[in-house]
Amino acid sequence: MWHYYLMLSLRSLKRSPTLYSMVILTLAIGVGALASNMALYQSMAADPIPEKSDRLFHVSLNSWPDEDSPHQQPLFVTRYRDAQQVLSSGIPTKVVAHYQTRVYTKSLDAKSLTRFAADTRATTPDFFALTNAPFAYGRSLSSAEGNEVVLGSDLNDKIFGGSNSVGKAVEIEGKPYTVVGVLKPWTLRPRFYHMEQDSAFRPTDDLFVPLETAIDNNWGVNGRSSSVDYSGDMASSRPHNRFYLSLWAQLDSAAQQDSFQQYLDNYSQQLKDAGEHPLAINNELKNVHEWADKLKVVDQRLLAFSIATMLFLIVCVFNASSLLLAKYHDDKSEMGLRRALGASRNQLFRQGFVEAMLVGSIAGSLALLLSWLFLACSVVLLPNLKAIAQLEPAVLGQGFAIALLTALLSTGYPLWRANRASISAEMK
Amino acid sequence: MLSMQNVSRIYRTETIQTHALNDFSLSVNAGEFVAVTGPSGSGKSTFLNIAGLLDQFDEGEYSIDGVSVKGLSDNQLSRLRNEKIGFIFQNYNLIPDYSLFDNVDMPLRYRGFNGKERKRRIEEALEKVGLASRMNYLPSQLSGGQQQRVAIARALAGEPKLLLADEPTGNLDSLMARQVMELLHDLNKDGATIIMVTHDPDQARSVPRNVQIIDGQMTDHRVYQPQSVSASVESEAELA
Repeated sequence: MWHYYLMLSLRSLKRSPTLYSMVILTLAIGVGALASNMALYQSMAADPIPEKSDRLFHVSLNSWPDEDSPHQQPLFVTRYRDAQQVLSSGIPTKVVAHYQTRVYTKSLDAKSLTRFAADTRATTPDFFALTNAPFAYGRSLSSAEGNEVVLGSDLNDKIFGGSNSVGKAVEIEGKPYTVVGVLKPWTLRPRFYHMEQDSAFRPTDDLFVPLETAIDNNWGVNGRSSSVDYSGDMASSRPHNRFYLSLWAQLDSAAQQDSFQQYLDNYSQQLKDAGEHPLAINNELKNVHEWADKLKVVDQRLLAFSIATMLFLIVCVFNASSLLLAKYHDDKSEMGLRRALGASRNQLFRQGFVEAMLVGSIAGSLALLLSWLFLACSVVLLPNLKAIAQLEPAVLGQGFAIALLTALLSTGYPLWRANRASISAEMK
Repeated sequence: MLSMQNVSRIYRTETIQTHALNDFSLSVNAGEFVAVTGPSGSGKSTFLNIAGLLDQFDEGEYSIDGVSVKGLSDNQLSRLRNEKIGFIFQNYNLIPDYSLFDNVDMPLRYRGFNGKERKRRIEEALEKVGLASRMNYLPSQLSGGQQQRVAIARALAGEPKLLLADEPTGNLDSLMARQVMELLHDLNKDGATIIMVTHDPDQARSVPRNVQIIDGQMTDHRVYQPQSVSASVESEAELA
């Protein structure tokens, strides 16, 4: 019988092509706008590391030495010596200090003098295990020092054509560095380990180098760097009040969190007692979600736009329903005839359901195409959206399901009304 | 076959109450051909709607083929309508963009027959009304009389116990009306039970049993001597 209902639905569409085109277009525009907005929102609000996002904490210390800090405290970056104190606490399961820099590199053996620009993460070895960075080849850095590097997938493609480059060497500023690992393509949305200063949706890094090596080589900070008493080179900055290192810790239990918080507070108190800072003790541990909330990673304007698109979709459903009301009004005599010939109300409802699913499927397909177009236009107008304007399979599925639901909602009332009429009245 | 006992149908508005059928009783046996006549607004259509389970009644008892319809659900009534009743409407009620085949197929689909069985029944029914060779035509390609024959084929395809005809020749010229009436008489001779509402006294006279409804009540219950349709047409010619 479902096959018959589908055949009747196709005939119904063929019978009123203009009306159904308008219904489908109306729903598709509404769903398309919502789906593209959902794609942006879900990219922004996504959990980049769901397996342990509640156990990874950004560490903020308030050790700014002046009372009149130009920055909101606690500062989200810290000094080298504070970072060393945190790295040596022994409390977290894993703990990482890192900063972003930028270098130019090429294969050591390359005859060409062309070097590729590489966004570079200077970090400690736990970085890869803490962030669950996926390795294609090799291993993580063995130390915060030395001449080892890990390549991101894109850079490995550029320099070594995507082959297993472990054991090969790259040249950075005239010095050789051995490749010990290569990552698979790695997308983090948002890039939780570095979301500050509107950089949450930038790609993961091209190159990973040992922290101490980067500092020794004076590879500058490509991000927040604040200082009160020093403006020299990186290599000499270690004992000074230069704040540029981000700290992340993996704390697997509440007891571990409490213990680590206490450790930070004690350290901060010691600094205060020693006269190194005058501030109230205020050290923060924020897990990935809390940290994203604090940094307002999800654009509040997008939330407002989401509400607007939902309201727009409701208007579209009402419009589609009005059109279908006229269509079902015209079909009342045929429905009466079908009832007279033995169709039950349930059968006519099932037929209407199939028709709604057919309309919803067409509208859904069109809506997904439109949402792709909306996103493409958004990226042209606002290039910053490029990293998040992605139609993930989940959004495609949700968009399609919404299209089916809206088609059902649009059909429901007209169908119920047409089916409620008495048969004898319709057969006159 | 059909038994109505003291059936009443009352239509109410805020200000008035109308008895469309008032304490109406009628029994029709299997194989009978009954003509129901009466002036406009007398209750003929209400009777036919109730008999065809298209409308409900307020009081009384009604059973069809031994099944009491009182208290049946919509699904049960639909099933009964589909299996036991065939309708022939004055304006044919064919779906214009469906072929004759698909129009006749409609009640069979709701009956749940498989494709082979439906095809057999459709071909037989269209054969019976002389339109088997045109089953892929659209209704608009046929004359009014042919369209009514398609409607009769649709009613016959489900092999119902009872045929209900509401002014089946009302929209036809005399020649086509005669052909349709001949077809109904042939069906009756083959054993079909038919109840036909008509305004036409000649047609009523050609039917073995007449029932007259006035003001929702049966007022006359005469049994005419059977008179052939052709004889009736001849008398029309004489009058002319």
